[in-house]
Amino acid sequence: MVSKAEEAELNRLETQVDNGGGGAWDYLCLIRKLKVRRSHKVLNYGLSILNDSRKRSGLGQEEWTLYEQVAIAALDCQAIDVAKDCIKVLQKKFPQSKRVGRLEAMLLEAKGLWAEAEKAYASLLEENPCDQIVHKRRVALAKAQGNIAGAIEWLNKYLETFMADHDAWRELAELYISLQMYKQAVFCYEELILSQPTVPLFHLAYADVLYTLGGLENLQTAKKYYASTIDLTGGKNTRALFGICLCTSAIAQLTRGRNKEDKEGPAELQSLAATALEKDYKQRAPHKLSLLSSVLKGLKVSP
Amino acid sequence: MGVGFVVGVFGVLILAHAAYSTIQYRSLLKIMQEEFSGPPFHVAVELILGLVLSMWAALTVPGKFHSINPEAEENRIVSLPANQDFMVFNHRGRLFPKQADLKLKH
Repeated sequence: MVSKAEEAELNRLETQVDNGGGGAWDYLCLIRKLKVRRSHKVLNYGLSILNDSRKRSGLGQEEWTLYEQVAIAALDCQAIDVAKDCIKVLQKKFPQSKRVGRLEAMLLEAKGLWAEAEKAYASLLEENPCDQIVHKRRVALAKAQGNIAGAIEWLNKYLETFMADHDAWRELAELYISLQMYKQAVFCYEELILSQPTVPLFHLAYADVLYTLGGLENLQTAKKYYASTIDLTGGKNTRALFGICLCTSAIAQLTRGRNKEDKEGPAELQSLAATALEKDYKQRAPHKLSLLSSVLKGLKVSP
Repeated sequence: MGVGFVVGVFGVLILAHAAYSTIQYRSLLKIMQEEFSGPPFHVAVELILGLVLSMWAALTVPGKFHSINPEAEENRIVSLPANQDFMVFNHRGRLFPKQADLKLKH
């Protein structure tokens, strides 16, 4: 998870490195730690460290980690030659390693040789059937070929064995959403919220999917989860604030003409959300305030 | 750091002095052959003062405290990590012009 402080640190290091201020190694370490995808920058700065023999030997054992990081970044940037050279160096250092074998299979994947890559992963799995990352690569392989249904099938099979892998649950949810199978995606997000209840972004995604599904009950649950997102982010999540307003107006449209029992509570919540939104816009984007107020007027939620 | 550190040293010195006075007081009692009923008043004052000073120093010298609340401004989660185990390479990035000078030179 990337917190606000870590994001600020990453941005600071990024501008520092971009302007030639040094600290490239720290930047690459932070990228690895936060697991953000900045392949282009990793390729440029990582390669410049690797090509400088003095800097490279200064890293000690970390050198090989950097080779792996640069190899994957090179694959992502389609710099096949660089990736091949990096993998060759690693192969020389660790001849029997499975981790290098995985990199070689990924090289096949980047070249578009799907059948060969599949064969390589299958042989890796034969040697070690519990290698989670290879299982996941297989899912990615199916996804890369556009075979989303196949990817979902692999992933479900994988999750039967490794149920605690929340990254896989997240991927499954995203795959289901890309196929517009929202009911299944809802299940995945429930699983994610159960395993990591303090991550507001899962609450938010769950609420988004429920809102997309529609229906009175779903909308009410969605609103609750938007509210819990606001609770977990200290009211700083604009999307959740908008979600509350949208849910309230959708619920009001659905229940129009019916009995008005629980009118008091929801009305208060939406007006609070609208006030928070207006305050936020006033502070950060004053010229868009008129847009916001017209939207809120359209939703019939007034602060 | 400066002021807090000096205050901390001062607090520890006061505590040490309180210990020294207690030992002296007990040996005095032994000479006068009286029962020990409790520490003298100035030792008690020294102990409390030393406690307050060293506690204050211990809280300020090591640095600022970070919030542990998940909703605090610096702990707030703003983005999820990229799901890199499921990274796919045939994306639109391959249409960008390649840099020719990238090469591992050794």
